[in-house]
Amino acid sequence: MPAIEAVNLQRQYKGGLKAVDGIDLRVEPGEVYGFLGPNGAGKTTTVRMLVTLLRPTGGHAKVAGFDVSTEPSAVRARIGVALQEAALDHLMTGRELMELQATLHGIDPKKVRDRAGDLITRVGLEQAAERRVGTYSGGMRRRLDLAMALIHAPEVLFLDEPTTGLDPTSRSTLWEEVRRLRDEGTTVFLTTQYLEEADQLADRVGIISAGRIVAEDTPAKLKAEVGVPHLDITLASLDGEAEQDLARAREVLARFGDQRPAGPDCHLSVALPDGAAGVAPIVRALDDAGFTVASLDLQSPTLDDVFAEKTGRHLEGAGAA
Amino acid sequence: MTAAQNLRVILALSRRALNEILRVPGGAIPGVLAPAIFMVGLSGVFGAASQLPGFDASDFRTFIVPVGMLQGAGFTGAATGVNLARDIERGWFDRLLTGPAPRIVLLIGIVSSASLRALLPATFLLLLALALGVHVQSVPGLVLAFLIVMLFAAALACWGCVVALRFGTQQAAPLMQIVAFASILFTTAYAPEALLAGWLADIASVNPVTYVLEGVRQAFVYGLTWDRTWHALLALALLLLALGSGAIAMMRRVGR
Amino acid sequence: MIRASLALAARALRTSLRRPQFLAPLLLFPSMFLAVNTGGMARATELPGFGDVNGFLDFQLAAAMTQSMLLGGVTAGIATALEIEGGFFDRLVASPVPRAALLVGRLIATGAIAVFQVLWFLVIGLIFGAEIEGGVPGALVVILLGIFGGIGFGAIGMLLAFRAKNASTVQGIFPLVFVVLFVSSAFFPRDLLQSPASWIADYNPLSYIADGLREPIIRGVNAGPVLEGFAAALLIIVVAGGFALLALRNRLREA
Repeated sequence: MPAIEAVNLQRQYKGGLKAVDGIDLRVEPGEVYGFLGPNGAGKTTTVRMLVTLLRPTGGHAKVAGFDVSTEPSAVRARIGVALQEAALDHLMTGRELMELQATLHGIDPKKVRDRAGDLITRVGLEQAAERRVGTYSGGMRRRLDLAMALIHAPEVLFLDEPTTGLDPTSRSTLWEEVRRLRDEGTTVFLTTQYLEEADQLADRVGIISAGRIVAEDTPAKLKAEVGVPHLDITLASLDGEAEQDLARAREVLARFGDQRPAGPDCHLSVALPDGAAGVAPIVRALDDAGFTVASLDLQSPTLDDVFAEKTGRHLEGAGAA
Repeated sequence: MTAAQNLRVILALSRRALNEILRVPGGAIPGVLAPAIFMVGLSGVFGAASQLPGFDASDFRTFIVPVGMLQGAGFTGAATGVNLARDIERGWFDRLLTGPAPRIVLLIGIVSSASLRALLPATFLLLLALALGVHVQSVPGLVLAFLIVMLFAAALACWGCVVALRFGTQQAAPLMQIVAFASILFTTAYAPEALLAGWLADIASVNPVTYVLEGVRQAFVYGLTWDRTWHALLALALLLLALGSGAIAMMRRVGR
Repeated sequence: MIRASLALAARALRTSLRRPQFLAPLLLFPSMFLAVNTGGMARATELPGFGDVNGFLDFQLAAAMTQSMLLGGVTAGIATALEIEGGFFDRLVASPVPRAALLVGRLIATGAIAVFQVLWFLVIGLIFGAEIEGGVPGALVVILLGIFGGIGFGAIGMLLAFRAKNASTVQGIFPLVFVVLFVSSAFFPRDLLQSPASWIADYNPLSYIADGLREPIIRGVNAGPVLEGFAAALLIIVVAGGFALLALRNRLREA
């Protein structure tokens, strides 16, 4: 039984706007599924439907085996949710919030304190547990939010852009936690606009644009679909007839693979069908032809390339992570 | 969730709601100050009206102490709505909605906190009134008065929740407050029905809050009577039924 | 200076009209209070010492106007405090606009809004049976005094805005509006007020403004109360306006 299953899932608002326009999903238990797309693509709307905060206006979905529309209570008992805004009460301490969350999930009063304590320790907030959340940094709030989502050991965890706005260290910490959850067998549905995050964490990635999934597979396979690595070459300044010399350099490179249009300032880019093994012959050929290579850069396809290929646009988060 | 689990959720949510007055310096002041200012101010302005033939109470202040107590409950109810609106804006309400507790349990938890909080302005006003020379006619009447205040706060908290769930923003606060305020004033707030202008007497006679107010007034003016008591309780039951149903309906609509 | 003030006044008016949640309390709340006071205290005119009036509504109109304009002053203060918090005020300060125009512009706006407030209650009064003993000249006197009152209360609001640390501090002043009104003769004749309101009212400029607004409605344009009303309004304008200007200068110096 899949952990998450959606068939033609739709959400249309009054006025006709279709935020989610027919999404099919199948996430297996224990999988980390990355849902990647720019702002406004429909990621959050999809998550909100799967966690029963929004009613689908078409199609259906099941989470942990229960229908989100007809059996929402059963779904809620089995999911953990950390939404885009770390929704915390600033007047309460970390421990109080954990214990409140435990109570909201019906955990036995005798076990509440220990369970809260365990999770506080797990996310590294022991020192801050007795302080009011209003004094926490952004990273600490996210960790607490995650701990609260885990208080009842959910089968499926939904994380909506969990590292947006975090510094690199906090982001790494959260990534580690997601990996640990995967190792423990929790299914994680993660939305993100950061390529690196999807690339690093997800077993499979679904790329969403304008309410539809435009591509779905493992990160490696998705990238392989759009092309091969490229070698970006910057030549040392050419004297005299730069145009002619560039044309000559392109002729040298022609036998190695397809080239992208030459960039400014003596930049060239050639495909490497054999991967990194193709670098040395290219450098030798350029050297033999009298060119001096100033720099080399091996560029592998990114998920942004996948997105660009499918939609004609780039992801906003490309390079931001 | 079992009944015991649901009860614990209600208690936990009520406890959380009290933080605003327990943990915010001066957080309790507006809810207590406003009705006190009205009570003292109005009796300073209109006090001479108690000389009119047909005025039930010995003095105007005694007559309007119950108005102040209900206003305290009204402000508390409206504040509950404002807090819910804030929780909606900040995403905290989503956290409650994605948990397994039934919607009605969440609503009861939110609303019951208003009943508890309403005791603060009511007690303050009582002490102030006693200090200013107001006498209590009936101690059982006073106990009933406090019960009525708590139930009235719950009813107006339901109203606040309806507005909060409908608009999802704290900017709707004036709507919560004005309805609470008006419902209390378009009654026998200032004078017995016989002394009101005709149009206001007509409104007061059909306004359920009039009977709620007269129920509280028993503690200070009339003494406890079965007639006024059951009228007050019936009016409260109707208010809770109507506004509570509205709030539950709005909770069910969330996410549609 | 004049052109800058008028431009800022026009801007203040435009932004106020676009935010009904600011304007509504100025009219709705005092209207509701007017209705309840009139309905609840209808027989108060029978009290010995009340004086000769057509009805309690005629008496109460001035109270509603005063209350409305006072709320308008605080609202102007809140709007200014929000602009200071939001940084828009800094933009005005950085422009070549004369400093005093930052104050005067807002005061002109509150004066203009006061015309609207006074007219609203005059019309409501007439619809529900009040009579303006002073006729059209009386109504014009009321409007003129209203403008002065509105400007004075606006000056109070601006003083609060320039002195306060943030908008919510100014907002917290709202209950005090009612305190000040309750210890005046706005709602009830001074002779019938209970102590200590009765003797505080003698020293409260709001009493004289309210009485000045009331006189043309219930008795006609009589020099005494009307002139006292203008004097009280001018006093507030000068004192509050002066302090507001000082507070503005201090704030700009600190920035």
